[in-house]
Amino acid sequence: MEMLQYALRKFITGIPLIIGVTLISFLLMVYFGPDKTYELVGKNPTPEQIQEVRHQLGYDKPFVTRYLEYMKELVTFDFGYSDSTGERVNSILARTVPISLALIIPGFVLGNLLGIALALIAAYHRGGWWDKIIMGGSVVGMSVSFLIVIIAFQIIFSSNDGLGWFPVRGWNVYGFWDYLRYVTVPTLATVFVALGYNTRFYRAVIVEEMGRDHVRTAKAFGTPPGELLFKHILKNAMIPIITRIMFSIPLVVISGSLLLESYFGIPGVGLVTYDAITTGDQPILKAVVGITAVLFVVVLILNDIFYKLVDPRVSLK
Amino acid sequence: MPKRFFALLTLPLFLLLGACTDGPDTAGMKIYRHSLSGSPTSLDPAQSATVYANHVVVNVYDTLYSYKYLARPYQIKPNLAVALPEVSEDGLTYTIRIKQGVEFIDDPAFPDGKGREVTAADFVYSLKRHFDPKTRSQGSWFWAGRIKGMEAWKKAGSDYDKEVEGLKALDRYTIQIILNKPFPQLIHTLAQGYSAVVPREAVEYYGREFSVHPVGSGPFRLQRFDSVGVVLLKNPKYRKEPIDLAYEGYDEALHGKYGIREIDGKIPPLVDRLEIHFIKQSLSRWNSFTKGDEIQYAGIPKELLDDVLAQKQPSIVLKPEYAQKYFMTSGYENGFVHTDFNMRDPEIGYNQDKQREKMNHALRCAIRYAFDWDDRNKKFYNEMGFVFPGIIPPVVPEYDPDASREALRHDPALGRKLLDDAGWTTDMLPTLTYGGVASVDSRQMFEQFRGWLMKIGYPKEKIVFDSYASFGDFNRAVKKAKIKIVGMGWGLDYPDAENTLQLFYGPNGSPGSNNANFDDPEYNRLYEQTAVMQQSPERTRLYRKMNQIVLDACVTISGLSRRQIFLWHKDVVSFPDQSIVGGFHLKYVDVKEAEK
Repeated sequence: MEMLQYALRKFITGIPLIIGVTLISFLLMVYFGPDKTYELVGKNPTPEQIQEVRHQLGYDKPFVTRYLEYMKELVTFDFGYSDSTGERVNSILARTVPISLALIIPGFVLGNLLGIALALIAAYHRGGWWDKIIMGGSVVGMSVSFLIVIIAFQIIFSSNDGLGWFPVRGWNVYGFWDYLRYVTVPTLATVFVALGYNTRFYRAVIVEEMGRDHVRTAKAFGTPPGELLFKHILKNAMIPIITRIMFSIPLVVISGSLLLESYFGIPGVGLVTYDAITTGDQPILKAVVGITAVLFVVVLILNDIFYKLVDPRVSLK
Repeated sequence: MPKRFFALLTLPLFLLLGACTDGPDTAGMKIYRHSLSGSPTSLDPAQSATVYANHVVVNVYDTLYSYKYLARPYQIKPNLAVALPEVSEDGLTYTIRIKQGVEFIDDPAFPDGKGREVTAADFVYSLKRHFDPKTRSQGSWFWAGRIKGMEAWKKAGSDYDKEVEGLKALDRYTIQIILNKPFPQLIHTLAQGYSAVVPREAVEYYGREFSVHPVGSGPFRLQRFDSVGVVLLKNPKYRKEPIDLAYEGYDEALHGKYGIREIDGKIPPLVDRLEIHFIKQSLSRWNSFTKGDEIQYAGIPKELLDDVLAQKQPSIVLKPEYAQKYFMTSGYENGFVHTDFNMRDPEIGYNQDKQREKMNHALRCAIRYAFDWDDRNKKFYNEMGFVFPGIIPPVVPEYDPDASREALRHDPALGRKLLDDAGWTTDMLPTLTYGGVASVDSRQMFEQFRGWLMKIGYPKEKIVFDSYASFGDFNRAVKKAKIKIVGMGWGLDYPDAENTLQLFYGPNGSPGSNNANFDDPEYNRLYEQTAVMQQSPERTRLYRKMNQIVLDACVTISGLSRRQIFLWHKDVVSFPDQSIVGGFHLKYVDVKEAEK
């Protein structure tokens, strides 16, 4: 009950955040975003046709009216139709978000789990060869551009010039084996890049934790390394780790991964969002921005709840 | 903790269930996988402005006319129409009979889900839609001001139940079009995706989402459409009309090596499933193509041309290892690229001060002499583009191969002299804005252009790049005549020079297609005169005269037609073409082996 009350209270206090984010984003969309009119009018338009399209797009309405309509759309979760394809925005999101999640989650989970594991090893052997090898590898992962990694992995694992084990592109997923065929190379690319950032961050957190009194005491009492790492260090380092993972979730859920989807020909929400940004498809942008803002507020709440689960000393007040 | 980790790890499996779709049973199917470098946004014929959209639209819908599969120059042929139109003596009344027994695909939009027969009224409805503002038509300009009573119908509220005087269904299978004045290109417009026949029930049933739920009577029907591709399945109700290769323009010397003879007498479409993949990244497309089982058709990425081609000029030759695996054809695009001066800008175009106007003319001509077409062709088009003087490209019959090439001359010294003679000094020269969409290519083109201008003495700081984040923004600036120098490309809608000559017709000025805002009384008069003439030597002579007027006015630096190279696997029987209309050849594509 206490948790539910807390969540509700927190959500209500998050409303100004949602309004702030959506207002600034909408302002940018309206005044600085691409003008869709001139993509819709054809090659030889008349001034009347331009006016008709502007009217249909709602560009001739006052800003306040348009923003209030946006808020209504967010509350009713009805974002209307895409200005480009004419398809319902909700249908587009319902079709593309699961694909993006299925594409990104394996890399996200593995990138974090392996990052934590490597960080533990590196931190435990701080200053030693293991530490140097792992940190050196992390720097390599962080230094190489994601785009280069994608193209290189595509050539190595998928193309005929390489191993040719996996499809170069596409998403003809009709079962588990199809899924593995299509998701493996994007996941490897994601893990390769994410591992560097994750490992460095988690190592820093764990090293800090290792220097604490209770760890030194546990060591002095002869606690075995496994128990020391998992029970005394990792558990206490979970708060920053949870924070990092949780705050990545809204972007993973709604933004997808543009580069992966673009190069591997995967019809996810990242590609749809990118197209919407470059063409000024406001109904899609409004949906993506609005839902991301709401998700951030939800994540903030969940984050606090997870803190309490991990550390009972934390109070939900 | 392990339980939570396990739950986390199994999450993707549950999500996978949401991301999976029903698996197709493709065993025994003939599947052809095509690739395109861009994607359509809408599949509504009224919005099929791009070659990408047309690849789908002309394959799921029927148009009254089409182009012969192999005949070049392009020849029109009846498609849904029974024959070529009967045209009245004065060229104003067209009577077109359509085939009987042609049916729309089955779709929930129809009562009981059964597609009904296509009638003349459907065509009338489809064309009227272009003049209904709700449709957001991008093709209405083809027929604007040309069909009797259409503008009045629009003004009266676009009520579909009200008749248009110049567009009627005389009976179930006969269409009558009455024009305000002769329009010889009308038949070509009836071969475009814009004029495809749609059923009213489907437009009303799907509303806005009609753009992603095509319901037509074409050779294929849509199964899936998203941001990365489209899947079309053979339309089992498509009319059974065997292919007559001789009629389609088959020439053994030209087409024999591609195995096309095999399809003679077969009934299109020849494949059961047609997949079109939209892949903007050329390397990704190439990797998929060379893999073979993913894509069977592609162009060659710019960065790989030297690896794949043994020779670029005078003819294109593949290296033996590629020639062994793939068929290849190449040709010039049905269009061209050109750089226009904005004549509405008094600093470079028309000016109330006639002396200044003369100086502006000299300035434009000087810039044209600075322009180095050979260098442009070499740096940006792999020396494979075809440079020609003016606005009548080589793919149309009115092209003049013997025309003077003076307008293409690169002579910075002459350019500098023209400026001096006209009285220009460095201080007086106006700041030139060169507009383009923000991209590496645009920026490099600008830098090259600026380099040439500096050779005629133009100060570097007076040549600036005006970059735009999206094509929409760039187009808005062009349509508002805000940019002095505009680099553009034009794809021909139909193979008649009228389609490019209208680009410089005064009344088509911004926001119309005349981006240069050229408005010359003599040119306008000739355009109006030729617009009602049938193809003839006299019309060709006048077309060429108009071309010369544009060149003499130094209103554009033009032009170059890019060379396109198509490769396809040898187990595919095809003769690719994506220029005119786009994708009309796909119903004739065959693959030798079915899926196992």
